[in-house]
Amino acid sequence: MFVFIIRRLIQCVIVLLTVSLLCFILFQFAGDPVVNMAGKYATIEDIERVRSSLGLDKPFYVQYIRFIGNAAQGNFGMSYVSKMPTLELILERLPATVELAMTAMCIAFIAGVFLGVLVSLKPHSVFSRSIMALSLGGISIPTFLMGILLIMVFAVWLGVLPPFGRGETVNLGFWRSGLITVEGLKHIILPAMTLAMFQLAVLLRLTRGSMREILTEEYVVTAWAKGLPPLKVIFKHALRNALIPVITIAGLQIGEMIAFSIVTETIFQWPGMGNLLVRSIFETDNPVLVTYIMLAALIILAINLVVDILYAYLNPKIRYE
Amino acid sequence: MRVFLICISAICFITAASGASGASGAMAASTITIVTDSPPITMDPSGSYTDSNMGFMANIFDGLTERKGENGELKPALAVKWERKDDLSWKFWLRKGVKFHNGNDFTATDVKFSFERLKKPEVSKFTDFGNQIASIDIIDDYTLEIKTTSSLHWFVQQLHMLFIVDKESSEKRNQGDMGQKPIGTGAYKFKEWIKGSYLKLTVNNEYWAGKPSIDDITFRAITETATRFAALVSGKADIMGGVPVAMYDRVASNSKLKIVSRPARRAIFLMLGNKPGTPLADAQVRKAIAMAINEDEIITKIMRGQAFKASQVPDSMTIGYNPDIRRIEYNPSEAKKLLKQAGYANGFDMTLSGPNNRYVQDSKIAEAVVKYLAKIGINAKLDVKPMSIYGPELTTGKLQCGLLGWFDSTNDLSRTYGILFHSFNKEAGFGSHNGVRYKDKQIDEMIKKANQITDTKKREQHLQELNRISIEDKVLYIPLHYQSHLYAIKKDKKIRFDPRPDKWMVAKEISLE
Amino acid sequence: MNKSFFKSKHWYNFRREPGAVIGSLIMVLFFLAAMFAPMIAPQNPYDLTEVSLEHFLLPPVWMENGQMPFVFGTDDQGRDIFSTILYGCRTSLIVGFGVLLLAGSAGVFLGMLSGYYGGRLDAFIMRAGDTVLCFSTSLLALFFLGIMGQRGVTMVIIAICISGWVRYARTMRGSTLGVKQEAYIMAARATGASDPTLLLKHLLPNALAPIFVVMAVDLAVVIGLEATLSFLGVGVPLTEPSLGMMIANGRDYVYTGMWWMVLFPAGALIMLVVGINLFADWLREELNPKISRKT
Repeated sequence: MFVFIIRRLIQCVIVLLTVSLLCFILFQFAGDPVVNMAGKYATIEDIERVRSSLGLDKPFYVQYIRFIGNAAQGNFGMSYVSKMPTLELILERLPATVELAMTAMCIAFIAGVFLGVLVSLKPHSVFSRSIMALSLGGISIPTFLMGILLIMVFAVWLGVLPPFGRGETVNLGFWRSGLITVEGLKHIILPAMTLAMFQLAVLLRLTRGSMREILTEEYVVTAWAKGLPPLKVIFKHALRNALIPVITIAGLQIGEMIAFSIVTETIFQWPGMGNLLVRSIFETDNPVLVTYIMLAALIILAINLVVDILYAYLNPKIRYE
Repeated sequence: MRVFLICISAICFITAASGASGASGAMAASTITIVTDSPPITMDPSGSYTDSNMGFMANIFDGLTERKGENGELKPALAVKWERKDDLSWKFWLRKGVKFHNGNDFTATDVKFSFERLKKPEVSKFTDFGNQIASIDIIDDYTLEIKTTSSLHWFVQQLHMLFIVDKESSEKRNQGDMGQKPIGTGAYKFKEWIKGSYLKLTVNNEYWAGKPSIDDITFRAITETATRFAALVSGKADIMGGVPVAMYDRVASNSKLKIVSRPARRAIFLMLGNKPGTPLADAQVRKAIAMAINEDEIITKIMRGQAFKASQVPDSMTIGYNPDIRRIEYNPSEAKKLLKQAGYANGFDMTLSGPNNRYVQDSKIAEAVVKYLAKIGINAKLDVKPMSIYGPELTTGKLQCGLLGWFDSTNDLSRTYGILFHSFNKEAGFGSHNGVRYKDKQIDEMIKKANQITDTKKREQHLQELNRISIEDKVLYIPLHYQSHLYAIKKDKKIRFDPRPDKWMVAKEISLE
Repeated sequence: MNKSFFKSKHWYNFRREPGAVIGSLIMVLFFLAAMFAPMIAPQNPYDLTEVSLEHFLLPPVWMENGQMPFVFGTDDQGRDIFSTILYGCRTSLIVGFGVLLLAGSAGVFLGMLSGYYGGRLDAFIMRAGDTVLCFSTSLLALFFLGIMGQRGVTMVIIAICISGWVRYARTMRGSTLGVKQEAYIMAARATGASDPTLLLKHLLPNALAPIFVVMAVDLAVVIGLEATLSFLGVGVPLTEPSLGMMIANGRDYVYTGMWWMVLFPAGALIMLVVGINLFADWLREELNPKISRKT
């Protein structure tokens, strides 16, 4: 087990290095950020001076090695646009994104599993069929469109929910939370629903499939036959086993979650990391982009590692030599 | 399904609850929320030259001078008076008794420090200004003399955007801190900046020009047009800048809102390259292009009337503005004739580039122009992109034809022309924004000569002539329109606010009745 | 092939499943519409001589001020919404099939190598696949386009393919491993068939069924993703038609009551994706019930 973890950690480091290298190579093709940075009035001389002050006149490999060295110490460089440390800029917005993603994940998981179980019990009822039809919509409507449609209905026509921003936030020391004020909660409903919808539909379908298989297993059939209370059979015997693949997939969806949080944050002007990323793309603020990608890679790899370890721990059949 | 119902009822409950609390929390202190279209980038006043960021900074910092009123007249601020001693030197007398927000006294050393800081490209986007300065001599705490590297008529005209920072605290802090916690002498003190959400300022009771009328200001930037509109109609903004033109009618018909359209100074125009051998090198072809564009239709349909036809880039406040210039008017049949005479009866291919996130409706204007060109047979490719990509293409001269907006806050044509239309000259610093690399000897000479004339009247005449020649004879560029800026003000608070022509949101100019 | 197909159990099952029939009807409708767009559309919205600001922001014909031939109204540049949707579907389908072709062939090739030869090559390909997949297709495409700063249909296809190939490779590898030990492959190898012949002639045809399922699911995902990328402004440029771009453009007008600029393209996009998903659902159950839906 220990060897397995060490091996996975080394693998993660290799992936991170590759990701950063690829980013660097791609930046060579992207536009010249120095011209923008030096300002509207800058002369060519100024531009060259900025270039050398940022080390951008150095050969590619020197720039890369310096970046890696600094990154290892938590220094990912300064934003070209605001001239502030990029890591600080991104981490400042982390709470907003985490709160949105977690809320969405909770909605998706609870509603997805709950509905999935209901549908699997009576697969041919009208209710189940309509839920399945809706879930087809859930996986078919792209997140950005879901956001716009929700805004059109709840913010424009009904006028009951705010269409943008985070509302009132409270600073809890290092964490700025929007979940403890009424205004904040009101503001999170639409974006969280938007972000949750796709995952909800995916988890619903997964739960349904997995439940349908398990409900035909012998031990469940026996449990029914013994006359155990239905709730006990469903939750204790069937669902517990049906959830294993669902949880695994939910864990692996983290990359999708990050991608769609970028879309959601853009539509709802949510002051999170994704919003910053899109702005930075349009401002060619490369250091922020690289930092964001590295951070996303780190989060994804860490979560995957945890999922793998848990899996190995829970399922003794799997051996990692 | 049940979950859904629970969600709905929760929504209803929360909405009801907040509605109640909103009604009870009537405003006691004078607080207003201003919504704008672009967020603050940095709190370091030399870190960004965008209108919007300078506008935020103008609340926290002061320059030696300031611009006020509808015409943007230059008024004393931290300098009480100034004098041009000779071609190169300027003397300034500074205001006494001014304090920075941290309690430090404002003196000549702060001015010297702030201006010298502008020379460093690592922290400053105003290096052009920094490089104009040869030396700064402190005569006493409240008097100083600045020598420029060359004779600059407009030197003092740009000081309103160069804000003075506190030397003592700035030297102690690093760049990251400078960019987050501003310390100035301005009418408002910095309170809190949550990036992506808001910037909060609170009144400076000891402001040298007297305490402003409003105590607390919240700036919220909403970049998405549609969302900004939603914020306005839902009452989230007391004042909004950058009201989308497409929504003018909707805002104007809302009885709770007052809409103000402020003619702004920025002109939108097309730059045309004249590389020998290309169709655009022929002045007749350039004229045909100008004639193909139905500017009236652009103004009514794309700008929704929020623009004024321009006959030239400078506006009437600028030295060198020539009221006699005749605009080349829309005339597609004549345009076709001109093309035929020039030997391009079947048209030709070209590329029109432009930004898509910089000026009001910028990409839509470019799109419309391309359509007009198609109608006289010119096959123009539209190439619009974010300013961060377009900008470098412009400054490195990669364009064939480019859309640009321009206004020169120095109110002087020779600087504008030197940057935009003088042939590219790296050493002399000319043509840095001549994105199409237009080259004309006569124009170059006239621009250079303008800087040598010392007599104000003669200089103005010379500049007017330069302006006329470049449009009427050479069709050097094609002016489209001056854009207006739209502001909406909520009526119930009885806010008195007169928007500025430079788009800055200066809170001390806002008051309650 | 045709005759036997109409007698096969697949055809029988297909006819009895309304979802599948509706789904494939929608697909066929969209394919035809996209293919014959220049003939059906009253206007070529990207031919600049045809579009004029004269007809800007017209509502659909059945509303007041509506005008023929602008059935679904026009946008703020005077483009006919209906025509633009037709041309936009073209882009959607070009990107969709472009990805299927590129990612599909790359994935099938790599998966086949991986499964057939095993060993180090297999480990490397699969490890690389795991890595890109854990970053998710959408995230990688967004990063890639964001960094590159270039826009266009080809760029979008490439961006989606960066991780798009993995699912094909995994599926193909699985099938290859399964088929490798079959008697006829052994027999072919014994007769001295070269590796390429063996792979292409004997292995590939027998491992294709699950690939079709992945393709059907993928098509829906890719079309949605292209719309998303264009909506964010990193996909197809302004000068090319795209449903995502139309929605982004129309969004500014939603609050002023000009709903047609958003709802029609949105409706078309949803219909197309739902149609493909309906068909894909059926195909999966029919061909390979074991592949789980994972995007």
